[in-house]
Amino acid sequence: MTKLPDHSTELGAEPAEATSLGWGSAIGGLLLLVLSIIFMAGGWRLGLGVPTRLGTGAFPFFAGGILAVLACAICIDERRGDGIADTPDWIAFLAISAALAVFALTADQVGLVPAAFLTVIIASLPDTSLSLLGKAILGVVVSVACWILFIELLNLPVKPFVRFW
Amino acid sequence: MKLDRRTILGTSLAALTALSASFAMAEPGPWSDEPVRIVVTFPPGGTSDLVARLVAQYLDTEFGQKAVVDNRPGAAGTVAADFVSQQDPDGTTVLLANNAPFTIAPTRFKSIPYEPIDGFTHLAYIGASAPGLFVHPSSGITTLEEYVAFVETAPMTYGSSGVGSISHILGEAVDAAVGVESIHVPYQGSSPAIQDFRAGVLDSFYDMVVQNSDMIEDNEAVALAIASPERNPQLPDVPTFKEQGYDVVIENWVGLSGPAGIDPAMAAKINETVLAVFAIPEVRDRLTELGITHTAMSTEDYSTLVGELIEVWKPLIIAAGIAE
Amino acid sequence: MDILASFGQGLLVVLEPQNLMYCFIGVFLGTFIGVLPGIGSMAAIAMILPLTFYLDPTPAIIMIAAVFYGAEYGGSTAAILMNVPGTPAASITAIEGHALAKKGRAGVALFSTATASFGGGVFGMIVIAFLSPSLAKLALSFGPADYFAVILLGLVAASAVSNGGALKGIAMVVTGLMLGTIGIDLTTGDLRFTMGIPELRDGVHIVIVAMGLFGVTELIASIRTNLKGKSDVEVDFDDLYPSKEEWKSLPAPILRGSAIGSFFGALPGTGQTIAAAIAYAVEKRVSPWRKRFGTGVVPGVAVPEAANNAATQTAFIPTLTLGVPGSPPMAIVIGALMIYGITPGPRLLTEQPDMFWGLVASFLVGNIMLLVLNVPLIGMWVRLLKIPYKYMYPTIIVLICMGVYSLNNNVFDIWLTLVIGAAGYIMRLFRFEPAPLLLGFVLGPIMEEQLRRTMLLSRGDPMVFLERPISATLIAITVGILIFGLYSTQRKRRQTRAAQQNSTGR
Repeated sequence: MTKLPDHSTELGAEPAEATSLGWGSAIGGLLLLVLSIIFMAGGWRLGLGVPTRLGTGAFPFFAGGILAVLACAICIDERRGDGIADTPDWIAFLAISAALAVFALTADQVGLVPAAFLTVIIASLPDTSLSLLGKAILGVVVSVACWILFIELLNLPVKPFVRFW
Repeated sequence: MKLDRRTILGTSLAALTALSASFAMAEPGPWSDEPVRIVVTFPPGGTSDLVARLVAQYLDTEFGQKAVVDNRPGAAGTVAADFVSQQDPDGTTVLLANNAPFTIAPTRFKSIPYEPIDGFTHLAYIGASAPGLFVHPSSGITTLEEYVAFVETAPMTYGSSGVGSISHILGEAVDAAVGVESIHVPYQGSSPAIQDFRAGVLDSFYDMVVQNSDMIEDNEAVALAIASPERNPQLPDVPTFKEQGYDVVIENWVGLSGPAGIDPAMAAKINETVLAVFAIPEVRDRLTELGITHTAMSTEDYSTLVGELIEVWKPLIIAAGIAE
Repeated sequence: MDILASFGQGLLVVLEPQNLMYCFIGVFLGTFIGVLPGIGSMAAIAMILPLTFYLDPTPAIIMIAAVFYGAEYGGSTAAILMNVPGTPAASITAIEGHALAKKGRAGVALFSTATASFGGGVFGMIVIAFLSPSLAKLALSFGPADYFAVILLGLVAASAVSNGGALKGIAMVVTGLMLGTIGIDLTTGDLRFTMGIPELRDGVHIVIVAMGLFGVTELIASIRTNLKGKSDVEVDFDDLYPSKEEWKSLPAPILRGSAIGSFFGALPGTGQTIAAAIAYAVEKRVSPWRKRFGTGVVPGVAVPEAANNAATQTAFIPTLTLGVPGSPPMAIVIGALMIYGITPGPRLLTEQPDMFWGLVASFLVGNIMLLVLNVPLIGMWVRLLKIPYKYMYPTIIVLICMGVYSLNNNVFDIWLTLVIGAAGYIMRLFRFEPAPLLLGFVLGPIMEEQLRRTMLLSRGDPMVFLERPISATLIAITVGILIFGLYSTQRKRRQTRAAQQNSTGR
């Protein structure tokens, strides 16, 4: 992938790679529009109430309304502007998501130490520069460090190991 | 680098250990060799949490029973109650039981994930504190009678610690007993309500009475009535609702309850130890400062009491209009 | 003179070896616990609380306070190094701080926060010493309508925090407001947008939002660049300390930040987050460096940090003199005092002068300790960035998991972090910034609560907002900022477009 000139300094972020999407960058605005409609509909269903006693749904409804207007403005803005979006890195996205999912699935079932170990392994899967052994060693170091830090030192009420057999 | 950090944390461990000599002890406790986990339904800092930490501290120092406090706030206390009801009944996990998951939630929510009576072994009752009604001194009202006369002509605003809180339920109960409809303004906890009350934004508020004795003494708030069955010895001048002809008795109680199936011998041992903790004058004093009046009770009596209280609270919660 | 004498008395209290030791232990533990992502001041205080039961009230409260500001300080370290803010206020520090770190100047950023924290802390302490009674009175004169107005102002300022344009900034603030409505409705007790999930009853925890939007998103986005070449966070050991020019740029933002922070800290419930956001937004308008804001500038790191730390100190004013805790950590402070039979309130100052002045003086001592402890540590933290990213990022993800899991000991929170992180990543692809969303999320529930309370108390008359002098003034300022913001964005856009057409011919 070739590096594009960096458009981003004024935007604060510094992505190494960015793509000019044209009107495609309006997708962000469209997603917000969908979100705003969900909250407006939900707010309506919850009830808007009366001025004296504003209903449960009033605040999300009006916030949704404001967001809808803003989302439309963003869509228009992005469409005629030169929309820039970062190039997505779906492999990293999947690895990190999977790592979190693995921790969520295992923390209660097998205990903190094995869960932390598995999380490290999964998270580092896309990384080819580290051998499997290296990953395993990192996993052991991190999980043992977590055990010492969180359970022994900070006294968090978490079990290091759970008998699941 | 890791090593550096660990060394530093090791040093902090040393500091922690130095702080409490009790860390060094590893004798078997009266009912469990493992540390007992006291699960609290609220975040750290509240009365429940303070009681739990008080119990944990004295179990450790006086009886060699290690105990840690585990705050699992959420869903009006049902998260903690559900968690405890699912633990092994070996005495290592107990709940700091109170109104929220036991007497309010079963009526308030359509379904709760635990059985308030059969799902638990109710171990030891600790005590109760009572809320009451306060009005602003600038209103000129000094008695409940004057209050009733006033609200019958013009409804007052009252602050509570939140929807479904004890102070809200009391407010609704008093409204029902008096036959008026006050304007309920919920807050998150009592202190922001008290702030607005002090600032003159609220006409009245309901809150625990003893905890606000400073305001009463400074004549910043007038306590019209307390919802306990009898007057509180610390504030003998505050009359009860009951003696003024309104049958409103609402108390905030705390106790210790474990998962169902704890061996009766162990339950008795726990009850005995906890009662011994509260027999220590120092502990009693601290409890009193928190506004809680201690009552010694057997496991059976405590268990019966929880069952009774659910029935007592049921109509109050329905009347308050907070049942799902 | 009276105040100086009392302060001297307080200084004697702190300098007792026992109090000095607990102050140090508090600062020390606070700093290190606060560095851990997701484990903020709240968790740090809760951990230390049982230990304080063995102490007298004065050392106990000194230690709790030290843990509190130590952890607030530590939170900014993780925000700068890893873009994982431990507290919502630290997310503002992360904007310039992490940008500096990416330029290889993490040392400079950390040095600036250390200096700014110290400045803010001392400023806050002076404010407490001299202005406690009047600030307490001010807090009391703030009614629900005024709180609503101040939060509105804070949110509009927060949208200006965004470097991606005011429109996207406001959109993110409003998105945050909506996410903040998830959970039980405080005013009616009804459930909103929980989709039948019991864990959502109490809403989404702030730490989960911060970890998801900042931590997880940042990890995903930086893996590729970091693994391919060397770390994108370069380390230059010759560049640990600010340049002469940067040194000179520090005092003014620290003073401005401290003043803003001291004011908002005294308002219970708004506190550090609004303080940091408004201070940053103001600085972005007035700083001589304003053109370079967003790219990593020293005043941009210093100002929210000074505001945050000043607010952290002045938050003790309503806590101690009114008994109104502005934040969960302050609620613990009150709880801890109650255990000793000390009821915080207007009487505290007269009944417990030693404790009060000892605490105030401990802020000075503690902040000096913080400085002495942390300046030498800067080199160590920076060296942490030397660890190859292939070792770092799996470790960070585990730390995030642990931080989130420790909130409620419930794995549902991890799933939620995953969802928010994924959403945050998609947002990031389209250049939406997380900081305004986080601020909207934090302040939205308070804003809604105060709005509904105002309407309830005014019996449905919205004119109260314009009738009360405080809220009317604040709303006027807010409208002014909005108009100015929209106008300047338009002008800037026209300029950039003209410039682009000139340079690229597009």
